Amino acid sequence: MSALKFVFGSPTVCTGCMICANACSMFYFKVISPTRARVRVMRFEDGLDFPLFCRNCEDAPCKEACPEGAISRTSKGVLTVNNTRCNGCGSCVKACPYDAISVNPDSGKAIKCIQCGECVKRCPVEAIWITTQKELADKDKNGRLPPLYDKHKAELYSRGEFL
Amino acid sequence: MIKGVGGQGLYIDLTSQSIKKKPLDEQVVRKYLLGAGFLSRTLFDMIPDGTDPLGQENVLGFATGLLTGSMFPQSSRHVIAALSPLTGIWGESHAAGFWGPELKLAGYDSIIFTGAARKPVYLRIQDSTVELLDASSVWGHDVFETDTILKAKHGRNCRVLSIGQAGENLVRFAAVMNDRDRASARSGIGAVMGSKNLKAICVRGTGKLEVAEPRTYLKEMDELHRRMLANPFTPGRAEFGTTSLIELMQHIGRLPTYNMRQGVFDGYDKIGGHAINQGHLIKPRADWSCLQRCGRFTCVSEGPYAYTGGSPEFESQAALGSRCGNANLESVLYSHHLANQYGMDTISLGGTISWAMEAWEEGLLTEDDTGGIDLGWGNHESIVKLTKMIAFREGFGDLLAEGSARAAEKIGRGSERLVMAVKKQEIAGQEPRAQKSMGLAAVTAARGADHLYGFPVLDEVGFDDEIRKRFGEQYLPQMADRLDPTYKGIMVKECEDFMVVVESVGLCKYGTQIPPEFYYADIALGLKIHNGLDISVQQLKTIGERIVNLNRLFNARFGITRKDDALPDRLTKEKAPVGPSKGQVVELDRMLDEYYSSRGWNLKTGLPLKSTLKKLAL
Repeated sequence: MSALKFVFGSPTVCTGCMICANACSMFYFKVISPTRARVRVMRFEDGLDFPLFCRNCEDAPCKEACPEGAISRTSKGVLTVNNTRCNGCGSCVKACPYDAISVNPDSGKAIKCIQCGECVKRCPVEAIWITTQKELADKDKNGRLPPLYDKHKAELYSRGEFL
Repeated sequence: MIKGVGGQGLYIDLTSQSIKKKPLDEQVVRKYLLGAGFLSRTLFDMIPDGTDPLGQENVLGFATGLLTGSMFPQSSRHVIAALSPLTGIWGESHAAGFWGPELKLAGYDSIIFTGAARKPVYLRIQDSTVELLDASSVWGHDVFETDTILKAKHGRNCRVLSIGQAGENLVRFAAVMNDRDRASARSGIGAVMGSKNLKAICVRGTGKLEVAEPRTYLKEMDELHRRMLANPFTPGRAEFGTTSLIELMQHIGRLPTYNMRQGVFDGYDKIGGHAINQGHLIKPRADWSCLQRCGRFTCVSEGPYAYTGGSPEFESQAALGSRCGNANLESVLYSHHLANQYGMDTISLGGTISWAMEAWEEGLLTEDDTGGIDLGWGNHESIVKLTKMIAFREGFGDLLAEGSARAAEKIGRGSERLVMAVKKQEIAGQEPRAQKSMGLAAVTAARGADHLYGFPVLDEVGFDDEIRKRFGEQYLPQMADRLDPTYKGIMVKECEDFMVVVESVGLCKYGTQIPPEFYYADIALGLKIHNGLDISVQQLKTIGERIVNLNRLFNARFGITRKDDALPDRLTKEKAPVGPSKGQVVELDRMLDEYYSSRGWNLKTGLPLKSTLKKLAL
């Protein structure tokens, strides 16, 4: 199992308050704007609220798709975008299976979660945390979380339709 | 330039289908803020004397507050106002959710509708695109279906505000709903939307709010978040929302029961917060920037009352439960869910049904009137059935859709004395003989009987320190004693001024009034770092007073004077028969004298003195 880290959240604990998204857009871009955040929050009518982040995939389709070689891993294994190289073409957006990367309309550069933890520390209900596949499996011993994500995967990961 | 706002207002004439955009006027904001204050000023100027609330000339306004969509705790709210079809005076209603912030992110702070569309329409906003569209695909559909249909058409990320069938059918206490289960319930504002053939407003905003002090913004907001989470009330709010107020109100004898005959209910524990948490709570949910998460997501998993959906609040439990003598929790939850689905105010719904139940008990209503429906106390099948019949104005529901005051006028037979309303709006879930300030607040509220306009809860459960801080030591212990009428006029006046400021900046009364965590100085800080507005605490207090006086002047134009600031005789003349407040009545005249005096209003007419208006630059 991959030891790469990523941010993950519980849709049964998340209240959908948007504080993570607003803290993110404020921290990075000095504005309040969910469409400029590196996290998305999606609400469903069965009571689930999903805070959604980059999964930091081992095979990294975004990195593979980037024609400019703008996406690389840091020494800690986090996939990041090099703003000098990124030209906002959107190939990474199309490639991402989790709708976790988007192009900021102001800067024209791709943005994604880089595990800074600014939202994690502000979540009022501790619904989100930085984890690895193994830690997540340990924490979620009964395997409660994956079926919840599976149930709504068509809307959660729409290849950009619901961004 | 004001930061942290949409920046523009929409002015839409439904008759001619014209859509105009105007920039936000900073002069108006400095005098009235935004939200409730902005609508108070705008609609005062636009609604002509003698307007028919359901006629073309009524004006329907929507506005966000200055802090709506910010990171200030609980800053999700918007306000809707019009001349009310229930009361015939100032009508105003508020809701939380995500619709208000979305409107701002689309670039708009307010929408003012005039005229009426010839055929049903809905307004679609997608950033700079604003268009009126044919509503035939959603007209006749309930609130949930409308939300689903419009999202399928315009995108999942839209935020939908709409009326249900109750609004279409001009039920006088129809609500406007947003984000499926958030209700702008009071004043019958949904019927105004219905009368204008306006079904919904579907908004998508992909913009941004630029704030005044971006460098320190997160640090300042972090501190407000920390304070909110550290408040001793927050864990209970998260665990129960407002549902366990049933237990608390039973404890102080303030739980309206049997049409407000008394303030205690034997079956209270069956409809309380603990009962809901044991079998029906799925999770707490929050609106934009809300840390307290009093919103509930609940279900009844099987049987005739099965549903899954948002809320309830204490008010719905009291109105459809104890007030109707109903201890069947599943039916309380379900009729509340139906009220959301059809778009109705649960307070007036329960208040009207409980009026009918008492009239039935006294033999003033019979099966001939009800079409065979049994109105015995606690008949939950009848409550559920009537909820639907009222929304669709079917049979006996058509009479009840007029609200208890008009229904009693029509029936006569002495049933008028059983109407528990002020200015034709049903009194909310506060039996005022058990908390005198609530009795006063119900009669002074601008929109008819209402607990939220002043929301004087500082005497409810011992906020002595807060009273000391806000008013001074000299008012203790009387002001903190809920059964003592002394100083309640002063308290209600101050609470009203503060609450209209809260409604004008888009914050929630939870966090500002109960628990009383944030006060004027915190709001002033928010306006400074979010909006770049330097407005002092003293100026904010004056603005609050100005808005309350303006609302009173609006009502004066529609004939309101001191004589209308009255409670039903039951509450002022009949002693509470049982419970912790046994033997109490509401000493209304005494409190009103003190209230008018502290407002600078004429004691005889209850209207503002010229000198008061001059002082407030009105």
